[in-house]
Parts: sequence; structure tokens; C-alpha cells
Amino acid sequence: MKSISQVQGCRSEKDIAGSNFKIKSDQFGYGLPNMTELEIKATKCRLNVIRMLQSSGHGHIGGAFSAIDIVSALYFYKMRVDPKDPQMENRDRFILSAGHKCMAQYGVLAEKGYFDKSILDTYGKLHSMIPGHPDMHKLPGIEANTGALGHGMAIAAGMAMALKLNKLNSKVYVMLGDGELAEGSNWEAVAAASKFGLDKLVVFIDNNELQISGKVVDVMDMRPVDKKFRAFGWEVLNINGNNIFDIVSALDYSDRTNGKPLMILCKTTKSKGLPMGENDPEFHFWKPSKEDLEKAGRMLSKRIESLQAGLEEVV
Amino acid sequence: MLGEKLDPRKVFGKAVTDLAAINQSIVVFSADSGKSSGFGEFSREYSDRYFECGIMEQGIIGMASGMATVGKIPVFCAIAPFVTARPYEMFRNDLGYMHQNVKVVGRNCGITYSDLGATHQSLDDFGLIRLIPNVVILAPQDPTEIKMAVKAMIDYAGPVYMRIGNPKIPVLFEEIPFEIGKGRLIQDGDDLTIISTGSMTATVIEASKILEKNGYSVRVIGLPTVYPLDEELIRSSAEKTKRVMTIEEHYCDGGMGTMVCELLSDTKNVTVNRLGIPKEYGTTGEYADLLAYYHLDLEGVVQSAIRFILEG
Repeated sequence: MKSISQVQGCRSEKDIAGSNFKIKSDQFGYGLPNMTELEIKATKCRLNVIRMLQSSGHGHIGGAFSAIDIVSALYFYKMRVDPKDPQMENRDRFILSAGHKCMAQYGVLAEKGYFDKSILDTYGKLHSMIPGHPDMHKLPGIEANTGALGHGMAIAAGMAMALKLNKLNSKVYVMLGDGELAEGSNWEAVAAASKFGLDKLVVFIDNNELQISGKVVDVMDMRPVDKKFRAFGWEVLNINGNNIFDIVSALDYSDRTNGKPLMILCKTTKSKGLPMGENDPEFHFWKPSKEDLEKAGRMLSKRIESLQAGLEEVV
Repeated sequence: MLGEKLDPRKVFGKAVTDLAAINQSIVVFSADSGKSSGFGEFSREYSDRYFECGIMEQGIIGMASGMATVGKIPVFCAIAPFVTARPYEMFRNDLGYMHQNVKVVGRNCGITYSDLGATHQSLDDFGLIRLIPNVVILAPQDPTEIKMAVKAMIDYAGPVYMRIGNPKIPVLFEEIPFEIGKGRLIQDGDDLTIISTGSMTATVIEASKILEKNGYSVRVIGLPTVYPLDEELIRSSAEKTKRVMTIEEHYCDGGMGTMVCELLSDTKNVTVNRLGIPKEYGTTGEYADLLAYYHLDLEGVVQSAIRFILEG
């Protein structure tokens, strides 16, 4: 049992480190092998993204790959959802405010069984169920039509308000990009979530530090993001958003009930898992060659094999 | 009581509050706008369903959408431009595209906020909202229709925009069930069809009496629903009178008159004359003076109708 401050790569705030929070992962049997399993899942989801790119020839891979470890952990470790009953009343909700990262969510939903993987081959095609930004009326499991930035947090806050009114204990998770924080509408939702005490609302900021024009700090420096949220009355965690153990620890912590919404600032690497594109803003939107895609696919498959081998060794 | 003048905002607020007693799903959002929207009683009676968010119209549209996904029926009323033009993208994406069961009400519509100027007047709201697919647009014409329209919009599953004014307006009609998309044939006639909406209808009814006295036979149609238009009623009236005059407290461009023109564009030998406000930033002053300035007062309507009948 570790406190969150001892988790590898986790830069927790003093107030969190000082709390009595203990990782619950082991209680659920999520020891090391399970972390590896979650990593395998995330890598399989990345492979699904590669499959989508094979269909369309282009896509927002940078943000999809920086966010996918979090999205994958949400669906495979944390969220109360049922792919067979996507409208289940007491389900947890996930809203991808940064809708252009949708390949991450599609990759995860496909892996979770929300839809047949053959649909991945329609990405970019006419009338696809998985369009370039999510559409709740086309694909089961999508909760909101996002894509225009700065919308997701308000929608999620509204969901959390209504769930609270209905006395359901469902949680609402939202993923925003760090560049997205420049949209003023976010801050309206940040203020409201605090006023209405929405502690079931959990916001992830995918802090990959890059946006299409370059570094976020050069385009519009919104730092210190954590202090800004805290000033609005939120609780804040800082984690490594590409480290499964970090993510799982933060997700465990998010179950607390203290009347405050929770923001998890996730330091991530743009295009994580695609070495040729990591930390390169040019890979915000990628038009890969056939060879590059095949190479990426081979590498990810190899990664899965090696993780699998490690898992068998431990077991 | 017919002829009695009532505050449209109070009628609206009371109608929602009365329904909230039997419909637990109704919730109300306020952008520091609730009490001026007639929600004083609602905020006291149903405080758990009343959400004061301060002046954040964009955020409220988003939150209302989120609430609707969980089965609530959010009602949000504020000054018309602040619930249409300002949060337009939220209206389009979060309500329209997501097709959420949210009721947005723009009050102090048109030029009723006459002296506060162009920032507070809404002369483009029909035009803006009608371009969002599948959003119902209501503009009830008297206090009775406001009450009935509120019930209809709550019963309807989907996004609705309703606009109401600010000054007291007379009761014109007896209570009859409100059907979204249905116009009201108020008076039959042969020389000209006048189609009006919202509070302009009261003026048109007065004008039609004067026109009758002067020997002109006028067919009067009132539209409490601007979208979807009552296509059948408008087409049959146009075919009958050949002349159609539309009147609205909105820009001549992009509003109900434009929609009628589009509808009748394939109808032979019909001429449409649109009355409204020219596409410019509204001037300021007393409401009655503004109506007269834009020829939307009784005299302006009568003169426009006669000129149209005589000169074509």
C-alpha cells in the first residue's frame, strides 16, 4: 500500500499527499500483472487507431496517442459501463471535449466491445459511424457531440448536476486538451462546477504541451493551470498521463466525496507510442505513408508481444 | 379576459411554474436573469430545481444540454440576444446537433428593449435559430398563446426556441390547444393576406379592422410557430389572395418573411411584401416611437397594406 505521493512519476500536490489516501489498486487485485494488462489494452487500442488511419489516410494521431492511456484505463479499469447496454441509467459517463482525439475513444470503445472492429475500417468514409469528431447519434457509447473546443466541460457539468439531482452516484469524466483551455467558455463551467459542488465530475487535462501551431506556452500560456483550478475551488492532482500506475492511482483517488470537482493535470507526450512523431507538433494531424503506418503497426504489435511475455513470466 | 393587458414574462414564468408542480423533470437555469423572467415563485417553490449560474449564457446552454441527456427538461430564459447570438455555437452543437430537450426563451425580444439599443435588441434571432436544423421556433402572439405554447414546448421532445416581449400585451384569443407548426386563420379576406407573428399580431388585427372599414378585404394569419411554418395555410392563402404581406419585429432579412418568400418561391403569380426592420443597428427611444419609426405601428401597417393593394 502506497500513498499517492509515492507512486512512480506522480507529482502530487501537498494537500493530496498529506491526506490519508491509499492506493486501492491492490485491494482490487490490480497488482503489477494487472497494470501490464492495462498497458496491453492501451497498446491494442493504439493498434486500432493505426487501423483507422489505414482507412482514412490521415487523422489527429498526436492527441489520440497522448490521451489514449487515460481513456483506456477509464474504460478497462474504472468506469461503470456496459457495452451491451450503453444507455444504462446509472452508467458513468465519459465526454471527450477535445473531440479531435476521437480515434483514442473509438479505439478503446472497439476494444471494449461497443462495436465490431470492422467499423474501424470505415474511418474517414462516407456516413461512417466513427466520424472525425464524435457523434452520439451514430455510435453507441458516445455521450456528446464534441469537436468545437470548450464545450465538453459545461455539458459534463450539466450531466453531473442532473445525476446528483436524481441521486445517482454515477461519475462524469471529461478529457480536455491543454490548448483547449484558452477557450473562455471552459472557465464558465469551471466556476459553475465548483459552485454546485460537483465532486463526481473529474476533468483530465491532456497536457502534451503542444498544439497545432507549436508549444502551448508560446501560443497562449495558461499556466499555472493547477493553481487556476484550485483558485476556483477545485481539487487538483498532477500525474504522468502515460503511466498506467499513475492513472490508476488517480482514478482510485477520484472516488472521494468532498464536494469539490477534481481536475487531474496529466503530463503526457504527444504521439506517445509512435516514436517517429513523439513531441512533434507536425504530428498533431498525420498523413502517414503506407510504409510508416505499417512500421508503426509492427512496432505496436511487438510491444504487445513483449508485454504479454513479461506478463506470462510474472504469472 | 379578452382585451386585458398582461406582462408576457410573468405569464411565461407562471406557466412554467404551474407545470413544474406536476412535471418533476422541469429545471430552470438563470443567468442572473431568473427573476426578470418571471421565475421568482419557481425559485422559491422549487429551489432544488433552480440553478442560478450568474451571467454565463454559453456555459448554461452547455449545462442544460448535459442535464437533458439525463432526462431533465431545462428551461433557460434571458434577454433574447444573450441566449441566441451570444451562445450560438453552443445552441447549434449542444442543443441542435445533439438534439437535446432544452427550452430556450428569449425575452425582451425584437425592439422591446428599445432604449437600451442594439446590444439588447434581437432582430436576428429567427434568422440565426432557423439555420440550426430541427429547432422549433415559437413566437406566441398573446398571453393565452404564451401559456399554451409553454405547455406545448414542454410536451415536445426536442430543442425549442421561444421569443417573448417585455411590454404588456392584450389577450387576443380564447384558450385552445396549441399545436406546434399550426398557424391561426384570424380573419378571412380576398385582397391581401397579412401574415404576422409575435406581438405584431395585435397591431395587425387592429389594422385589418381599419382596412375593412375602408373597403379592403384582408385575410389575416397569425403564426405562433415560426419554424416549422404552417406551409399548407400559407400556400392556400397566397393562392387565394395573390398578395402576401409579412410583418415581424425582426430584420426583413432572414426572418419569418424570408421563410415565407422561400416557401412561395415556386408559387406562380404571388407577390410578397416583407415588413420589418431594415438590416441596420436599431436606434433607441420609446418603444412606441421605434415602432412608428420603423413603420410597424398601426398607421404604418395600414398604409403599407393599402399601398401594396393599390400599387402591387
